[in-house]
Amino acid sequence: MSAPQQDAPGLLDELPGEVMMWVLIVSELLVFGAGLAAFMAMRLTDPAGFAEAQAHLHRAGAALNTVVLVTSGLLAALAVRAAEAGREARKRGLLAAAMALGVVFLIVKGVEYADKAGQGIGMETHTFFTFYYLLTGFHAAHVIAGVVLLALVAVLRDPRATETGAAFWHMVDLVWVLLFPVIYLIR
Amino acid sequence: MTRDPLIRAWGLLVGLSAAGAAITHMPDFTGGAVLILAMALVKARLILHHYLGLAGAPSWRRGFDMAVAAVCLLLGALAVAA
Repeated sequence: MSAPQQDAPGLLDELPGEVMMWVLIVSELLVFGAGLAAFMAMRLTDPAGFAEAQAHLHRAGAALNTVVLVTSGLLAALAVRAAEAGREARKRGLLAAAMALGVVFLIVKGVEYADKAGQGIGMETHTFFTFYYLLTGFHAAHVIAGVVLLALVAVLRDPRATETGAAFWHMVDLVWVLLFPVIYLIR
Repeated sequence: MTRDPLIRAWGLLVGLSAAGAAITHMPDFTGGAVLILAMALVKARLILHHYLGLAGAPSWRRGFDMAVAAVCLLLGALAVAA
């Protein structure tokens, strides 16, 4: 009698973590990719106006926020390892540090928005700022959601949940490394 | 130097972020936007491969690499056209 045949692992089995989180990651990449493409297309209609508007942005603050976010991503990835090794206290400590950096990101972003408001710059000031507020604001909303999600998975003793929360956090990272150069750097 | 791919990826991400910001302090030069987007593409790949774990899923890694490259190519074409 032959041994029962085992199903060969499918393509979806190769994907790390929850499939639904990957569906979300692809959706977010499409949404932000379309938003950034629309931003660059609008820039074609008024390159000088976009350059003048971009000069009001604080590049150093945004660069600092990039370092903050990628460091937070590293801490979340290390938390997944700790969860898989059953080191709950270490996992919680790493997730708390990742969340703290997420809050630092939001504070820097808040300072940036307050500075713009102080200069009388709003969404209606120029098309550049309409996209700037929409894209960075939508991203900041994801950062808030990510901090909440990391807090939730920190209290769960489930490595799979930690992996899923961290994947969302890395998606926030991924979007930022594309958004930052397009909005702040390209002249 | 650490052998941990996660820490190496983080070091590269920080280095590339600093380099990208430094480029904008240089006088405008041809290909500046393309160089900045190329660095963004490398950063995105580092996050996909090492933070999100696609390094161990070659088929998915190729698909995501192509998708992110296509987005960067489109953005680069629009940047050069301006």
